[in-house]
Amino acid sequence: MSYDRPQRGGYRRRYRDDYDDRRREPVETPQDQLKSHIIKLGEVDPQQEISNVRAQIIALPPVISNLSESFHLSVTEQPFKIPYYAALLRSLHEDGGTEEGVSLGKQILEEFWRGFQGYLDKLAWRETRFCVHFFAHLTSAGIVSTESFIALLQAFTAVLDEFGVSHGRAKRAALCAAEGLMIAGAAIRTQSPSSVPEIINAIEAYVDTTTNQKWLVQPTAKLHLSTVDAESADEVLDSALAALKALDTADFDGPYPRPYADYEALDPSTFTPFEFPLVLVTPEVIEDDGATDPEESAVQVKKEEWPEYYLRLFGDDVSPDPNTPAGYAVRTDLCAIIDIFEVNRKECARLLLEYPKWTLPGTFKPRPGAPPPETEPVVVRDWQLESTILETVLASSFILPDSSHKQIYYIGLISEVCKLAPTTGGPAVGKSIRRLFTNLADGLDVEIARRFCEWFATHMSNFNFGWVWKEWIPDLELSVQHPKRNFIRRALELEIRLSYYDRIVKSIPEQMHPVSAHCVPGEAPGPNFEYEDPASSHHDAAQPILNLFRGRAKAEDVIAHLDTLKNTLETESSEAGRVFNVDSVMRSIAIQCLLHIGSRSFSHLLNAIERYLSFLRYIASGGVTEAAGSGLPEAKTDILNAVSTFWKYDSLMVNIVFDKLMQYQIVDPADVVGWTFGHVSDPQSDLRTPNTLTAFEWMLLKGALDKANGRVTSARRKLAALRKEDDERHARATAGDMDVDGEDKPVNDTTVAESAAVAAAHKAFTSLTREQKSTLSQTLEGFVTCLAPSATSIVGPEAQAILTEKSWHNRANWGRDEWNIWETWGWYRHFCRAYSPYLRNYSTTLSTVTFARLEGSSDPASELLQKIWNVAVGQE
Amino acid sequence: MAHIVQSLDLPSNYKDSQSRVDRQRQNELLSHSTTLYVGNLSFFTTEEQIYELFGRCASPEDGGGIKRIIMGLDRNTRTPCGFCFVEYYTHAEALASMRYVSGTKLDERIVRCDLDLGYKEGRQFGRGKSGGQVRDEHRQDYDAGRGGWGAQAQKNEIDRRRQVEERYADAQDGPGAVASGGGEWKQTEVPETGGQKRQRSPDNDDENERVPQRSKLDEVDDEERM
Repeated sequence: MSYDRPQRGGYRRRYRDDYDDRRREPVETPQDQLKSHIIKLGEVDPQQEISNVRAQIIALPPVISNLSESFHLSVTEQPFKIPYYAALLRSLHEDGGTEEGVSLGKQILEEFWRGFQGYLDKLAWRETRFCVHFFAHLTSAGIVSTESFIALLQAFTAVLDEFGVSHGRAKRAALCAAEGLMIAGAAIRTQSPSSVPEIINAIEAYVDTTTNQKWLVQPTAKLHLSTVDAESADEVLDSALAALKALDTADFDGPYPRPYADYEALDPSTFTPFEFPLVLVTPEVIEDDGATDPEESAVQVKKEEWPEYYLRLFGDDVSPDPNTPAGYAVRTDLCAIIDIFEVNRKECARLLLEYPKWTLPGTFKPRPGAPPPETEPVVVRDWQLESTILETVLASSFILPDSSHKQIYYIGLISEVCKLAPTTGGPAVGKSIRRLFTNLADGLDVEIARRFCEWFATHMSNFNFGWVWKEWIPDLELSVQHPKRNFIRRALELEIRLSYYDRIVKSIPEQMHPVSAHCVPGEAPGPNFEYEDPASSHHDAAQPILNLFRGRAKAEDVIAHLDTLKNTLETESSEAGRVFNVDSVMRSIAIQCLLHIGSRSFSHLLNAIERYLSFLRYIASGGVTEAAGSGLPEAKTDILNAVSTFWKYDSLMVNIVFDKLMQYQIVDPADVVGWTFGHVSDPQSDLRTPNTLTAFEWMLLKGALDKANGRVTSARRKLAALRKEDDERHARATAGDMDVDGEDKPVNDTTVAESAAVAAAHKAFTSLTREQKSTLSQTLEGFVTCLAPSATSIVGPEAQAILTEKSWHNRANWGRDEWNIWETWGWYRHFCRAYSPYLRNYSTTLSTVTFARLEGSSDPASELLQKIWNVAVGQE
Repeated sequence: MAHIVQSLDLPSNYKDSQSRVDRQRQNELLSHSTTLYVGNLSFFTTEEQIYELFGRCASPEDGGGIKRIIMGLDRNTRTPCGFCFVEYYTHAEALASMRYVSGTKLDERIVRCDLDLGYKEGRQFGRGKSGGQVRDEHRQDYDAGRGGWGAQAQKNEIDRRRQVEERYADAQDGPGAVASGGGEWKQTEVPETGGQKRQRSPDNDDENERVPQRSKLDEVDDEERM
């Protein structure tokens, strides 16, 4: 990766390169060096290094701002070291101080506090939370007044009582209060015994209000249950509460290293603890983008607004139970490392693997072959590090409706862990996969199953596709739509996408080869050009248009040829006596021929589309006129049909072509949604139950929804930027007017033009908002059509009964229909919770229209449809 | 944003020897770049494989996505020569690829990503004397995924090779050879009378969609990188 290689032949040009200003190391001042020493505290032995770093700090003339910043970076980016920073700061309180008797430690703390207030003002919750951890240790170490720390924690619990507080805000505030109390509980109880139950009760009262939301984001979907049933998962606030209560009964003897514990007490005659000033947690501001129209600013998409469930994969002897104080502390630290070091997954993996050194000795089992620990274990827990890491990384990636970072981050992180610890990381991956695979049969949420599949395939792609597939051969006995079989099929499909067919087929046992095993297709994914075979119907009719495309004829000439094609087809239809829809067949031929030209690669596709854009628009408009606005619905359906037929053996290409057809505005997102639900109503394969969705259809819907939402987001951003520019120009113009007295200025042309730009941007925004609404409403409508009870439903009563507990317990006997319908419910749930910020915006109109027909129905399916919706949009 | 470790999304020290922008201007351009250079690809890797992996960094909900992929080709044989450009719609997506994908495997090779100034006509071709990438001229090892021994390509994996050889035989050069991948959403007007030209909103900054979007930087020269 380095370009600093020694010169070799052929690199002469490099000499001419202008010199590189980034390659030189910046000159480090002594203050920079000190900062770096503080940040690196504990590389070898934290306990011992505290006195060294203290000596280095004292040796230099104090620059408080630099010292405070060093502490800030250390505390907020290395929270696992906080106890040692507390000890370091405590040690700086010892000598009388530099000037006017104020110790260096206290000066740093005063400055640090100002920084903390800055985080609070910006609502930088991550930094705020770790500062609270730091303050809690300082309270325990006796350098902060306990009274004032309690007041700080109460400022956080006060947030929980705010009217209409968002879950994200309440959750973060509750964690600050809970964790502060966990760490400093002993001091708090001594000072003010009543504060402990007050804080615990405030958190508990809040948690009690979140039952419905929890029901929608729990990681297993048991449709008959109206309550939360998370046997193998823990919600973060529940865990915090449980750990807090356990500490409460154990005199707050917490699992935290306290390196300051045996320091000599400070002399009370000269030392007064630092008093935190009273604070208020800054209220959330509604972003003001200058919009006058309330609709414009209404949708603010925030992540992390739901309860957070962490999936457990292993037993309490292998990985920590987060409902215990020690388990909660480990989970919190590991999650913090995963979150903070997202910018560098390699460093993140290293820090995760080094984590045990920041815990009490005995927390983790020593590595096999490692020398015996120098220190005696203080606790006997012996958790397995790699399993714990895997469990925590996967649980973070599986959070519903959305993880904090992209899936590919967690996937890459696990790869790095395996590279650094090959002998222990690999087995932990294997155990995790097996555990999750088992969960698939017990209701693992469909979206989690999808992410699991993506991780599996990508991970294997990084490790030579070396999975022991043969252990899953017995699972081929299960129903063809059983989640385990879906997983096998989908995982192999994704592996083939990342690699190539022959390679992957070679990696699986023979039992999985036959097409009848439904694991891999009979041949490599490729195009399916219906008119290629001379024996196929319409082959001859398709040839001339194909030749026009091949010869790169002008779009107008191809359009002109369509009349000829239509005549040919009409003749065929009447002569052969076969009745078919001439327009549809004509479009199918035209689109498939174009796709054929573009089938060699993604770039070929783009070239074909761009060269024939006007042709595509002509087709999409139904041939009425090249300029028709949004096209003819049946023509667009024919286009999408042609794409799905042409690429029926390559689902990735269907995704890609649909995406680009939307991008080039040949079809709209709502067309794709409409097409998807239309397509599932009449499945072409007897493996599929009509009106049900799989991950493939979900990805099409997601592609369309994200496109519609993304356009609105871009348009809003653009509009806000133009408005701001416009305002600034007006302000400047006004200021300019005042400079020139009495002189009539001519109307500025650019001002008028720019205002026109604002008007146009506003118009675009309005159109896109309408499109977004229609895309969301069609999706909702589609799901309700699939899942609402219907007199004409072709599935039997057993399949309709899957919402009952009895049926769920009998799922070992479920067949194709039951599993297909179960999965469709899963995608509906996910649609509602994942798009809830957008849906809320239109909830009244959408629900009135869609749910009107379910009014008064006491059918369990009708009730469940509405309950999921109501919880998602916050009406229950 | 961590301060205590270096982020993986920083551009490398690469400086295009044929580019005439100075270092400062280059850094400025890279800080908005939506294009990645991807190197150390197998000659057999397809655009769809690249799409599948790099698509994981796309943020369509934020107006993003993969705009286009430009496969690096041997100047003479018009076959892939081991690099490509992936262009997104947003800068954040390019950064995400730097952080999460660079240094991981695609088609069983560790691929390397770097932020790039953006595709310019002609840059899809190798700069080596033989037509491929310069690095393959000097390579001493045997690398089956990159044509065997150094520049004397040993043809193995014949089936895959044949497909690959044919795939880009029609590759063009010159203006318009590479598609744009589709621009921003534009207002379409329902015409009052038939037969009118499609109208665009005045904020349209890309009047002719058929012409590939160019980098605003005229002085940047073409070419692959090491």
